[in-house]
Amino acid sequence: MAFYEHTIVGKQDLSEKEVESLISKYSKIIDKSGKILKTEKWGLLNLANKIKKNKKGIFVHFKMESEGKVIKEIEKLLSIDANVIRFLTVKYNKLDLENEYFGLKK
Amino acid sequence: MRRDKKNKKGKKFGSQNKLTLFQKPEMKFGRSCPLSQKNSPVVDYKNIKLLKRYTSDTGKILPSRITSVSQFKQRELSTAIKRAKVLGLI
Repeated sequence: MAFYEHTIVGKQDLSEKEVESLISKYSKIIDKSGKILKTEKWGLLNLANKIKKNKKGIFVHFKMESEGKVIKEIEKLLSIDANVIRFLTVKYNKLDLENEYFGLKK
Repeated sequence: MRRDKKNKKGKKFGSQNKLTLFQKPEMKFGRSCPLSQKNSPVVDYKNIKLLKRYTSDTGKILPSRITSVSQFKQRELSTAIKRAKVLGLI
């Protein structure tokens, strides 16, 4: 078991229901053999350059503890998913759950 | 030759802390790394404000000889900047 941070960038014209279903779909897969410690919704953010004809993106961020097999499975599904532009997973030895860099303006 | 090298190394972090008009070219302006001090910010791919300070306007990574970041922190910075670029944040 190891700690991971996982970010998903969704398309700009997704409705709230679609975002919720996107979150629940992938959190179910993680919950099979692991734990989600925290989920953050960063909301609609401007992209630095156009990615697949999108100027903005909806960001969802997971902090979790799981195995490498699960990560492979998720990344396989994400690369096919039409609603997702980009994703990134980073492995950590320790996670800090306190600091949040996005969504502080509200 | 060898003695010259030694002299230069000694003066790198020398006593000279202010630039003067008539200083020798060997004297270097001593400036310690801004990221490896106490209570300096954590280098992370989510901390965009910090990362933007160390990139040029076109998105290139600035060399450490300009920003005087230490070698270890420069490596951390470069991976963090590349990760942020994947997500389209920078």
